[in-house]
Amino acid sequence: MTAQSLHPRIRIVWILRAVIVAAVFSLPFAGGFYIGRLPMWAPFAAGGVVLALGVVHAVLKYRRWSYEIREDALYLDRGVVTQVRTTVPLVRIQHVDSRRGPVERGVGLASCVVYTAGSRGADVRIPGLTPDGASDLREELKRLAIRADGEDAV
Amino acid sequence: MKLAPQSVPYRALQKVSGFVVVAFFVANSNDWGLPAAAAAGGAILIAALAYETAYYRRFDYELTADTLDISSGVISRREREIPYRRIQNVDVSQSVIQRAIGIAAVDLETAGGSSTEGSIRFVKPAEATRLRREVQRRKSGSSAGEASATEGSADGADRDAVGPAEEELFAISPGELALVGALSFDGRLIGLLVFLSSGSVPVLSGFIPEASATALTATAIVAVGGLFLVSWILGAGVAFSNYYGFRLSRAGDELRYERGLFRRYSGSIPTEKVQTLTVSDNPAKRVLGYASLSIETAGYAPGQSGDGGSQAAVPIATTDRVYRLAHEVESFGTPTFSRPPKRIRWRYVFRYVIAVAVLVGVAFAVDWFVTPDLPWYGPAVLLLAVPPAAHLKWKHRGYWLGDDHLLTRNGFWSRTVTVVPYYRIQTVIDSRTIFQRRWNVATIVADTAGSSSFSGTSAAAVDFELDEAIELREALQERLQSALTTQRNRRDRFEWFEGDVDEAVEAGPDDDADGVDVADAEEAAGAGRAGAGNDADTGDDDAATARDAGIPDADRDAERGDTQSGDSSDSGSDADSDPVDAEDEPAIPDDGVVRPDFSTTDRDYSEPAERIDTGEYAVDRFPSDADVAHQRGGRNGEADEGTSDEETGEERTSDEETGEERTSDGGTSNQESAEDPAESDGGSAGDEK
Repeated sequence: MTAQSLHPRIRIVWILRAVIVAAVFSLPFAGGFYIGRLPMWAPFAAGGVVLALGVVHAVLKYRRWSYEIREDALYLDRGVVTQVRTTVPLVRIQHVDSRRGPVERGVGLASCVVYTAGSRGADVRIPGLTPDGASDLREELKRLAIRADGEDAV
Repeated sequence: MKLAPQSVPYRALQKVSGFVVVAFFVANSNDWGLPAAAAAGGAILIAALAYETAYYRRFDYELTADTLDISSGVISRREREIPYRRIQNVDVSQSVIQRAIGIAAVDLETAGGSSTEGSIRFVKPAEATRLRREVQRRKSGSSAGEASATEGSADGADRDAVGPAEEELFAISPGELALVGALSFDGRLIGLLVFLSSGSVPVLSGFIPEASATALTATAIVAVGGLFLVSWILGAGVAFSNYYGFRLSRAGDELRYERGLFRRYSGSIPTEKVQTLTVSDNPAKRVLGYASLSIETAGYAPGQSGDGGSQAAVPIATTDRVYRLAHEVESFGTPTFSRPPKRIRWRYVFRYVIAVAVLVGVAFAVDWFVTPDLPWYGPAVLLLAVPPAAHLKWKHRGYWLGDDHLLTRNGFWSRTVTVVPYYRIQTVIDSRTIFQRRWNVATIVADTAGSSSFSGTSAAAVDFELDEAIELREALQERLQSALTTQRNRRDRFEWFEGDVDEAVEAGPDDDADGVDVADAEEAAGAGRAGAGNDADTGDDDAATARDAGIPDADRDAERGDTQSGDSSDSGSDADSDPVDAEDEPAIPDDGVVRPDFSTTDRDYSEPAERIDTGEYAVDRFPSDADVAHQRGGRNGEADEGTSDEETGEERTSDEETGEERTSDGGTSNQESAEDPAESDGGSAGDEK
């Protein structure tokens, strides 16, 4: 299996998230405008800057994200500011979820969460999968985890 | 088994104690306060007593063959079964009051979960000790083969009383205890006060504008000095009472610890559950030649660590003693750490310069807004300390790849050396921040199931050259896989050779090479049976295993049945499966070792397996070929005829794999094999840990 990238629509999810963050961020500025301490454009400017950053981040994140199932490990490569490459040995997989949040359902996507007993990378989420893709991935990981024989997953 | 009766009033009073504070204020509020508070207090106390009595009556725990069953709960009831194999550690603690009235709290930890899985409050101290011993004994009894190795051929009753001999690994000396006190400085108080006062300094100086700068400084110095003294005394007192009488010993395959002056802690940690070892020291300890060691298991969930997570931490001992002890637990070699590239010191220099610049900025701002006399550029003196600091930081970083362990080292002020067996690695994380990318370096973290991520001591090789980091990542990955293979082989061996493990290991390989003929294998089975003292246990366990895994191995089960019924007279244990075919009884080879038959079957796995209904659970009449201890040639044909099955062939095949692997390890049920109908009673608490 070669490195897989995410479904392009995941950008919509991330951009939506950036919109929400931008909205929250501009709230205090809006408050400042309301009490007359800040000019009219302040909340828009603040929100706009955050939104622009968020959108750029979302796009870069999408470009960067890839995952790959190798012979004995699941390999993830992601992160814009901090690049993180995680190797999850298949033996260590405790259980696998496929899940769909409300926004993901809205754009017809799903994600797959892989749990290990680790303390730091205890759950690894692979977003931006098609619903079928997510359940296929779950089944595949399950099969591989069983084959890998995680007798003592701890 | 019931709790100790004293636990009822104790628990009730414990519950009510929170109310006392409220009652105190109520009592002081007005004339009617006192009687009102007394009445309410009495009512609450009675209610609490009633509740605790009900709790006491409802609470019941039982040690079964392979699980510890706890049923509890007054309003919502809970039945919990904890497989012995999954228990990470058992902790017993007693506070002063608990000791006075003769009760102890027992906590059983399994991996994962956000809280203690088995909490028994409270039992008599003797019962607590018995529980701990019993759990340990049954655990080693249920991991096949090991019981006989550790406990000899004594029968159940005997083992119960004696247990494996204890070998003392470490006992704290009075000098060390004094040092623990002297060196444990509780920084939290200072942190808190600094945090509080940082906000109040401008406010205070606003109140006393006429006081001279020198007076202010003098007061500050005295205050800070007093603060340090108080923190130090507090820290010393806490450490002293915590580690008073610290003792660590090895008994069989577990570590036992005991400590505490006011509150007694004791408990056990199976050596096979040890996740990481951490040796830590600070400059003062390094100068004096001391260090401390902590032993981490997956038992304590992150954030749960009430008093520092690992309870079996050796607070302080001379460095070589610490390393000797560490080697006892995990035998890693003598480490030679490789350091990050030298140029990375510049990175730390920049970092510290920025920190100093920020400090100067803050000082300048304070100076600007508050007292214009102070020398705001004072913190710039710290610049002098920057180059040595950067050098020291670099110097104390490092990693080392041992034969079976990864060692990492980090930190100058609090230096930690983390020992991670490759076998314990969960995930390998390679991260590069935007700044690290500028320097072409990366950080590799080997994550384990230990609890240490909160205290930041997970094994990390920080700031290594990209190439080296990638190499390290790949190496860790490979070594984990090979460690797993080794472990698997060892485990399977335990499963196959029931009799004398050592002999089996010796005799195994060369005999296997020339193939095992039927008679030989049959003989072997008999001998194994006769030789092993723990056969009944194993048999029971196997049946349970098979049930757990969902793919019991009918033939083997039947043979175990034989084994048990043949053996039951002297072991006193009852076999739960009847012998299916008595003439099937295998013969005994001269060396008394049961050997596997490695001949592959001609079974077509695309065909569904034949299943037989035992009434209790469905079993695969024809077991997969990998882990059958003593298979006879005739069986291959007979099983191929069977086609009655509830499942599709493909599904079966994949489950088969689970089954064969699960059965071989004695009871690990994998959640993913849950589609198997036979699995219904498989999953129990803490199973996937």
